[in-house]
Amino acid sequence: MKKDNLSAVLHGIEDMRLEQRPIPKISDHEVLISMDSVGICGSDVHYLTHGRIGHFILTKPMVIGHESSGVIAKVGSKVQNLNVGDRVAIEPGYPCAKCVLCKEGKYNLCPDMIFCATPPYDGSLTRYYKHPANFCFKLPDHVTMEEGALLEPLSVGVHACRRANVGLGSKVLILGAGPIGLVTLLVHVAQSMGATEVLITDLVQDRLDVAKKLGATYTMLLKRDDPAEEVQQRIHDIMTEAPNASIDCCGAESSTREAIFSTRSGGVVVVVGMGPPEIKLPLFNALAREVDIRGVFRYCNEYAGALALVASGKVDTKRLVTHHFDMEETAKAFETTRCGVGIKVMIHVQPRDTNNPCKF
Amino acid sequence: MTKDNLAAVLHGIEDLRLEQRPIPTISDDEVLISMDTVGICGTDVHYLTHGRIGHFVMTKPMVIGHESAGVVVKVGSKVRTLDVGDRVAIEPGYPCAKCVLCKEGKYNLCPAMVCCATPPYDGNLTRYFKHPANFCFKLPDHVTMEEGALLEPLSVGVHACRRASVGLGSKVLILGAGPIGLVTLLVAQSMGATETCITDLVQSRLDVAKKLGASHTLLLNRTDTAEQMQQRIHDIMTEEPDRAIDCCGAEISTRVAIFATRSGGIVVVVGMGAPDVKLPLFDALAREVDIRGVFRYCNDYSRALALVAKGKVNIKQLVTHHFDMKETAKAFETSRFGLGGAIKVMIHVQPRNTNNPVKF
Repeated sequence: MKKDNLSAVLHGIEDMRLEQRPIPKISDHEVLISMDSVGICGSDVHYLTHGRIGHFILTKPMVIGHESSGVIAKVGSKVQNLNVGDRVAIEPGYPCAKCVLCKEGKYNLCPDMIFCATPPYDGSLTRYYKHPANFCFKLPDHVTMEEGALLEPLSVGVHACRRANVGLGSKVLILGAGPIGLVTLLVHVAQSMGATEVLITDLVQDRLDVAKKLGATYTMLLKRDDPAEEVQQRIHDIMTEAPNASIDCCGAESSTREAIFSTRSGGVVVVVGMGPPEIKLPLFNALAREVDIRGVFRYCNEYAGALALVASGKVDTKRLVTHHFDMEETAKAFETTRCGVGIKVMIHVQPRDTNNPCKF
Repeated sequence: MTKDNLAAVLHGIEDLRLEQRPIPTISDDEVLISMDTVGICGTDVHYLTHGRIGHFVMTKPMVIGHESAGVVVKVGSKVRTLDVGDRVAIEPGYPCAKCVLCKEGKYNLCPAMVCCATPPYDGNLTRYFKHPANFCFKLPDHVTMEEGALLEPLSVGVHACRRASVGLGSKVLILGAGPIGLVTLLVAQSMGATETCITDLVQSRLDVAKKLGASHTLLLNRTDTAEQMQQRIHDIMTEEPDRAIDCCGAEISTRVAIFATRSGGIVVVVGMGAPDVKLPLFDALAREVDIRGVFRYCNDYSRALALVAKGKVNIKQLVTHHFDMKETAKAFETSRFGLGGAIKVMIHVQPRNTNNPVKF
């Protein structure tokens, strides 16, 4: 094994450096992964530009990156489910596995969660990275490393749809204005889970055009100050029935209001977007019509389901990758993401298609 | 049958009159009931004092009362479930039974719901009242008419606890120790809650709650902040509550409910508050604390009856005052002002215990 462990390290705001780090030593239950592909997420960019997200604050240099895949280079002595050479997608957060929440299966809410590239924990944009084996998912040969990396945002979509009780016959409203990648993933996940109608709303026509091409049943352009009641009427005119599941990817007061007003009685509003700490809501409307309001925090026991969707061909995430960069061009990759010119930017720690039996 | 159909009719704000009304004619699927006992609810008082609740506005005289029990005196030709002489509790609202929500079993949300004493529909504080047979529940001999009338608020408690998924081992926080808080406490206990904490601003109400079996009672101060209240709740309970039921509906109680509930838990809001409420939504969302409203009850009446019939909840203790129908005005005053420590005030359309094989 080479001693080269080049890593993308965030030292502070606007201060990202490529530097060598020691190759990590694994414990009995871990694997060492030779990293291959790492996607850039809005949160990675946010740490670069702000040095923090909420109460997660960068206080020491941190390796960036958490949407990733690679090839197993070493396995710990107690690892049963993986072998050297296995191509894996990495579910970036692992919990304590001991507390009440973990025991109840809600490990995403574990207060001691260790999550890649969330301070103070290092991320995976590095040549060698170690991780618990039970949070690594072996990829079938026909699933590319890029798709492996994309399982992370796809799992966010799966979790959101499950929290919204999307199932056979669901009518889903998605309020956009978030990264179009997430929104289109949601469309596909919702449809693969049985939704028969999916309507996406947004403030920007271009994004709606992309969403339409990528499979939304309907799209609807909104203006910033459209009254919620009017929006509700237009939604009900376009869809054959009022939606029973609404997913707010924006998290702004106005979008959550619209979601509540538009959702059918007895339905669910899931808020994915991160908005202000306090917002004013038409709570009475939601409560009296038993429209539930539910948040999401990352994902929980969904990586395998997301992988199954990709492996079976039910969801195609390849078309979300618009840009490829080598690791040495990491700064340029982040710049591209920041400009919002593409959908998903992929960083290649190893040359493209090195580990793809089926080329990307 | 006498021609006397004395009825308590609300003509307008502060204008409640006892007057004769025609005895109703029943259809094939209905029963005619000789009314016995009617409890007074906060909403009845609210119509008296405000003439409206939200968008339910009184525009013509309306018979008041909806928490009731009586004796069947006539059955429609298609009625199979009831006979003349049966003692019944009346579930006051009946739906259209045809729309999508009704077909899905969420009949409480039926847009065409006909509900006693909700404008424009008459209530049942009257000598004779007609109702669909399938919304009348036969009482076993040992269940009194007063308990039959109390099934209505008890069903609100059952529905709230079911919406909150209260089960074996739940730790339940209940905000507000009025009649709804108290029935919620009783139901939560019977559904397996192992620890309950009930809060209020008034010590005497908490004393009643303690007698009814609350694990902890907590007197709050109007000047406490939500964070302070949360801290005191966490200090007094052995574990963070995983369920919170806000039986108060004030902005602060809903805030406290959210802050105090464990990650992955559920907050149910029963109390009716302001249309728009400012909430720490981000806290709820990021910790996956779900927010769910309740609207009346749905397939809960027979469950509530089972609890009473089996002696699992003792709701007789909630009845503090008894009045004859002729004293309806005094009864409302007692309820309205909480005179004499009033919790539940009963109005007797027939003399007390006329229809109780087991005396109250």
